[in-house]
Amino acid sequence: MKQHPLCTDTEHAENVLELPIPAGLKQEWMALENRRRFLGRAGKVLGWAAMASLMGNRGASGDAHAADMPGAQGPPSPAELKLPHFAPKAKRAIYLFMSGAPPQIDLWDYKPNLAALYDKDLPDSVRGGQQLTGMTAGQARFPIAPSHWAFKRYGKTGTWVSDLLQNTGKLVDDLTIIKTLNTDAINHEPAIMLMNTGNMNPGKPCLGSWLSYGLGSMNDNLPTFMVLQTKVNPKENNQPVSSRLWSSGFLSSEYAGVGLRSGGDPVLFLTDPNGVDREVRRKMLDAVEQINRQTYEELGDPETNARIAQYEMAYRMQASVPELADLSKEPQSTWDLYGEDAKEPGSFAYNCLMARRMAERGVRFTQVYKRGWDVHTNVTGTLPILCQEVDRACYALVTDLKQRGLLDDTLVVWGGEFGRTVYSQGGLTADNYGRDHHPRCFTGWMAGGGARPGITYGETDEYSYNVAKDPVTVRDYNATILHCLGIDHNKLIYRSQGLDQKLTGPVPANVVQGLLA
Amino acid sequence: MARIECNAFISQVIDRLKPGLLIAGIPVVVAVALLGPTVGCRSRATYVAAGKHLDFNQDVQPILAAHCFTCHGPDPEMRKGGLRLDLEESAFKKRPGHPDAIVPGYPDKSELIKRIESRDSHRLMPQSSQGEAKPMKPEEIAILREWVKEGAVYRPHWAFDKPERASLPAAETQDPWVKNPIDAFVLARMKQEGLHPSPEADKTTLIRRVTLDLTGLLPTPAEVKAFVNDKSPQAYEHLVDGLLARPSYGEHRARYWLDYARYADTYGLHYDNTRHIWPYRDYVIRSFNSNKPFDQFAMEQIAGDLMPAKSLDPLIASGYVRLGLSSNEGGTIPEELRANIARERTEAFGATFMGLTVGCAVCHDHKYDPTTQKDFYALTAFFNNIEEEPFNRDRPVWAPVLRIPKAQNQDAYNKVFARRSELQNQLNDLHAQQKALVEKWLGSRQNVPQAVAVDKLMLRLRLDEDGGDVLKNSAPHAQTATFPVGKSKPEWGETTWLWPDFRMNSSTRIMLGQTGDYESNQAFSTGGWVMLRSAPNYPLDQSGTLISKMDTTQHDRGWDLALEHGKIAVDLVNEEPEIKDPPVEVAGDGKPMKEKFSYPAPAELSAADLSPDKAGSPKKEAKKKDEKKKDDKPKPVVAKDTTPRLAIKVLTLDTMPVDGHWKHVFFTYDGSGKASGVKVYVNGVQAATRVVVDTLGKQSLRTQAPMQLGWRYPEATPAKETRYQDVRLYERALAPDEVKRLPYEDYVAEIVSKPESQWSEDQWHVVSQYYFTNLDSTDKALRSQMEQLDAQLDKLSEGGPLTLVSWERPAIAYADVLTRGVYTARMERVEANTPHYLPPLPAGMAHNRLALAKWTVSPENPLTARVTVNRMWNEMFGTGLVETTEDFGIMGQRPSHPKLLDWLAVEFRDSGWNMKHMYKLMAMSATYRQSAKATHDQLLKDPRNLLLAHGPRFRMDAEMLRDVALQSSGLLVNKIGGPSVKPYQPPGLWEQISYPTADTVHYAQESGEALYRRSMYSYWKRMAILPDMDSFDAPMRDAVCTRRQRTDTPLQALVTMNDVQWVEAARALAERVIKQGGQEPEQRIKLMGDILLAHDPPPQMAQVLDNSLAQMEKHYKADPKAAHALVEEGEKKPDSSIPEPELAAWTMVASEMLNLDETITK
Repeated sequence: MKQHPLCTDTEHAENVLELPIPAGLKQEWMALENRRRFLGRAGKVLGWAAMASLMGNRGASGDAHAADMPGAQGPPSPAELKLPHFAPKAKRAIYLFMSGAPPQIDLWDYKPNLAALYDKDLPDSVRGGQQLTGMTAGQARFPIAPSHWAFKRYGKTGTWVSDLLQNTGKLVDDLTIIKTLNTDAINHEPAIMLMNTGNMNPGKPCLGSWLSYGLGSMNDNLPTFMVLQTKVNPKENNQPVSSRLWSSGFLSSEYAGVGLRSGGDPVLFLTDPNGVDREVRRKMLDAVEQINRQTYEELGDPETNARIAQYEMAYRMQASVPELADLSKEPQSTWDLYGEDAKEPGSFAYNCLMARRMAERGVRFTQVYKRGWDVHTNVTGTLPILCQEVDRACYALVTDLKQRGLLDDTLVVWGGEFGRTVYSQGGLTADNYGRDHHPRCFTGWMAGGGARPGITYGETDEYSYNVAKDPVTVRDYNATILHCLGIDHNKLIYRSQGLDQKLTGPVPANVVQGLLA
Repeated sequence: MARIECNAFISQVIDRLKPGLLIAGIPVVVAVALLGPTVGCRSRATYVAAGKHLDFNQDVQPILAAHCFTCHGPDPEMRKGGLRLDLEESAFKKRPGHPDAIVPGYPDKSELIKRIESRDSHRLMPQSSQGEAKPMKPEEIAILREWVKEGAVYRPHWAFDKPERASLPAAETQDPWVKNPIDAFVLARMKQEGLHPSPEADKTTLIRRVTLDLTGLLPTPAEVKAFVNDKSPQAYEHLVDGLLARPSYGEHRARYWLDYARYADTYGLHYDNTRHIWPYRDYVIRSFNSNKPFDQFAMEQIAGDLMPAKSLDPLIASGYVRLGLSSNEGGTIPEELRANIARERTEAFGATFMGLTVGCAVCHDHKYDPTTQKDFYALTAFFNNIEEEPFNRDRPVWAPVLRIPKAQNQDAYNKVFARRSELQNQLNDLHAQQKALVEKWLGSRQNVPQAVAVDKLMLRLRLDEDGGDVLKNSAPHAQTATFPVGKSKPEWGETTWLWPDFRMNSSTRIMLGQTGDYESNQAFSTGGWVMLRSAPNYPLDQSGTLISKMDTTQHDRGWDLALEHGKIAVDLVNEEPEIKDPPVEVAGDGKPMKEKFSYPAPAELSAADLSPDKAGSPKKEAKKKDEKKKDDKPKPVVAKDTTPRLAIKVLTLDTMPVDGHWKHVFFTYDGSGKASGVKVYVNGVQAATRVVVDTLGKQSLRTQAPMQLGWRYPEATPAKETRYQDVRLYERALAPDEVKRLPYEDYVAEIVSKPESQWSEDQWHVVSQYYFTNLDSTDKALRSQMEQLDAQLDKLSEGGPLTLVSWERPAIAYADVLTRGVYTARMERVEANTPHYLPPLPAGMAHNRLALAKWTVSPENPLTARVTVNRMWNEMFGTGLVETTEDFGIMGQRPSHPKLLDWLAVEFRDSGWNMKHMYKLMAMSATYRQSAKATHDQLLKDPRNLLLAHGPRFRMDAEMLRDVALQSSGLLVNKIGGPSVKPYQPPGLWEQISYPTADTVHYAQESGEALYRRSMYSYWKRMAILPDMDSFDAPMRDAVCTRRQRTDTPLQALVTMNDVQWVEAARALAERVIKQGGQEPEQRIKLMGDILLAHDPPPQMAQVLDNSLAQMEKHYKADPKAAHALVEEGEKKPDSSIPEPELAAWTMVASEMLNLDETITK
């Protein structure tokens, strides 16, 4: 039902071994077939697990030697997928999702002239006939709240950045800052869905699932697409993030994001039960495999082979995931860079460090969620807390990737689902204000593979309310991200409900050339 | 599609074989052999080769759809070159300046063929939307060429033609293999492909398969033994009958249906709080177990609230409509949410009952199916007419809601309920005759409606302009004839009341000049129809100005009609101090504010009913801090304002609920300068008031501030985003009798002064509503009887659980066609209707959900029976006869056995929509009973077994797997229904994703019985479903799922190896075999096999297990600590009579068994 283009052959999972053909050809067939089974009916699986490893030491297919056969090359090669569509700049991506919507005016979109307009009404002409949220629609006034924080210039580019982001500021020469992101959604739930899946309504695959589907795995024993949640800080206003945000929608569920957890099992049910050690597990699996092999011999159902591979992969993950999560071998320089926060599982800094470790280990796409940006009230109280959590960690991640030579082929994306209003929600005082949802412009940044470093793209009007020049829609943004990974968004399609579905949806989208290196 | 992929496969295979093409010919043989089998592949090559006539539906249309319809299909927006190929008449239509696309019989003269064969990349078709040529495959071109040659015959899409009972293939019915008509069709199809059926599966396989399929559970070893030993010819039939009679049958069927109906325990968005609707789940189980005819089952869910009923079940069933997502996110815009909700329901209905992807027409006409955008929105209208608010206030229930009586009151309740339903039915019948009754009334010249005299009517804003930015004043004495709307436009026509309505936007200003500038000795009256904004963050006891002529910069000089915490206030002010003394609260003042819950809701819901469920382990610290913070805020210090208070202020005692209903609010003032001269009316009835201030006397009210809707001058205290209709100002005090006539009678008088032929639908509605409410004695009598019964029902249901239901609004069901699906882009108002290409609604019925329900199960409906039997087939065989169970449209798969599908559909209908009959028919067929073992020949010709030459074999669904683990270990608690339970779940999952104040932020795992119920009773939180269910492809139930994915991922292996539920089950299974199996390991292993696989483990398997046992025993004897740790897993204590190392070793063996491919496969 939901097959990979490569899997179309699964319609014909005939038992090649039974064919009346010469032995030499049979061997070649077997090599092909092994591969096909994993990718096909038998293996609606393992999209995120390299096959090669399975056919290595412990030949899960029962034909360990098959791996040595000509034609057996392990995982689906991008060439077979006709992907990438062109030379990718980035092999992998890390998406730092700031759920709740950071206020662009207080962080990136520097508007010094607003100070003079403190508590003046936002002109109707600026707001136009905009439909407001239920939270401020009834407000009698829309008083302008200039940013509470000073901005400074950073880097060779002299880019203005808020004092709240003094570390990230040091990165500006490596960043591609986009000030003119804009969205159609005005509330969190639909807006986050739109950013993550290209559609405001549930049911569509997310960016990570599209990448897993399109590009496949780069490693032997970890998922292709992993999701990290940052621990909730009760001082912040935490919008929920539903598991539908990393779901695979109509794509096969093998492409869904796998959560890497900070508490308990790093991957759910990864740890063997109490009293079961590795030796017992190995023996148990050996027995299961032997019996499954008998079943296969009796019934010839390729699904049974897939099951054998599935258990082997699980066994491998039980070793590889703890290794991933084990930070004991990180040198002191890591902690100097990320800070002590990074030692606390579930902190944003920890997640950034994990994202780097996953990038090193060939995880294709890592999505880090940081909630709490929904500053309807008490901006001056909450925003410093939020920025303290993310500022140094973002700096550390990008710097770390760069130092390790990973930034060139890793795309890092930072941003939320919309922006926040220049006018105050609720009372405006000299030292505090609130900001409501604002879909018409917001700021995000990219760094690394494919993105043009050291630029600021697009301009907003003097109120940071409307886009003045070079708008970037969510569709365009996603098309651009795919482009960096070597994907033509118009070609990464999946037929569902009779339509060629794609991440960017039916409305035409454009790669924003100005953002590309 | 299958065909295309099939060919792609062959070419891929050949490509891959290229290095190996050492032995010429052999791969070709393989490829040819592969060509035959699949359903799709056959026709293309063979038909063309053999010169047989093509079948448009099977052979041609899929190619046209896949390659041509995007630009030459039903969607006019996308159409290129004016060519439309999905309809016969348009395909052959002459297009000026274009050569003929199709010349029947002459492919070489047909532009269509020329273009697909073109070598010129600019002319070559098809092309992508980016203009890139994407040539068809040679086989496809050959088919189209052949089709044109054969005369280019079009046929209607197969699924939209009414199914006829196909005659059985004569030869096959005689075949000894054939057990019932299913087999005859299947065999005939097999023979076409040179396939042969497989022998019947052995009895143990059969009983395991059929027991799992009909009950979702395993047969017990005793049942297996009895069946194996029963040598009678009816043994199998008895088995099937027995299974169909078990309560677990209904549970298992319901489990599938809950996917089709998108049932869950939370509302799915934002807070994702608990929503009480589990009684619906139990209704589904009951319905399957009582073998309720499917037509009734379907109708009750679509329109149970509109059906005559003897029990509550149909009403509970109507909760189906409300199972979808809901939200209360702070900034929610109600119109957007309402559009989304109606859309979701329509898509769900389309997928479940019609088998169509109607949702594709949300934004544009469907690209492939004939569903137009108008069709889609006309369908949404059925679901748009429920007495509900779009948002849920983060509560477990929101109107309409039903309270279910406790068991002891059930019978008494049902008696009263049946009586009420009877009366309701009479009332409905009465209303169905509205035209005749209204005509009779008007003909009688009795009770002629009286208009209110227009004497001194200074302002009348009907607000029926339905667009534009000028408001007309239709009062005969108007000083100003028109008022321009300010810069911020109002919303027109979002809903319909007397006519399509008018709503203020947040900054809409309606300035009415110096109208209403009066002295305190001048009598005047004003008011109109209003509907207050009802949205998240808008309090239920709103405050704000409805109509005013008041200057807040001049000590509030002037007058206004306003709301103060939901109470209606009239202020006539000469001057007021800025901060008034708090009004003296009168003892016993006012009634508690009540939301209106129209029947079937209980009259009043308690605070406990409405408050969200308690989260597991609440963390209160954060909240406390917030509260503290609030208190810490410095209070503004304002100098005492010494302005004397010279004013009248009158306040109603009752609060006016903000419940999404229209209300007529009006006041009259007699010019006396006294509070006693002010009267307030709601819906024409004088409201009880109290006087707050009465110091105006003869002081002036006059002010230069303009009269306004919704604000006080300049921009103060708005009534947020209120809707208005028919706002009036009279320069006199209307008499009570006049005010009584204002809401309806005055307008009815206006309507009936014109001939009926000129009345609009909306006007008909107003007149008949007026007639029934005021003049029809039968109506009155019925209603008063029903009210008495309602009171009894309330009493009888006290303390019972609540469930969401549907309740139709007494209004015409409308929807707006929305451009690109955007809720503000209303294009055209449409009345509820079914898609134009399907049979019409039953004649003479109001266009509401009841009509839709009847239509759905009418004999003329080509889809419902087909779609339903196909899903049954999918449940039993693992793949539907139409593989795309959710899409019977043009892009859906063609049926593998069209005649069988139609035969089954007709059989289903003719059997009285008998579901057990159909399941039995399938289970009894020889097709179903075949061995799952495939022969080489079958695997070669039909690897996916679409032609059914062997029996079904596939991995069980998530719930079945867990249930089977619990059952085999003896842990399963057999108890049907009740509130959902919270079994094992690793901690921290909900906290990670939830809103901190949601009632689902903490998962409070239960203990005891709740851990061991069937999985269908597990609490289903949409934003985070139970991880074991999630791993095995259970859907989130955000949307309808009519077939689940069946993946095999490592995460699944981790669940069945390590999840405490599975470890505990393994231990309990070990205990069971140790105690019941006997002393010898072989005996115990045998019992384990009997329990899980329904047969003794074959020697090879037993050998592996025996070896494994020896290893495990050795290991755990050497490490008793590990043994202890293992057997202590889970809540249930291990059996202390068994030595721990022994139990641990057996636990591992049981775990091995539970993890076998054979165990988790049906």
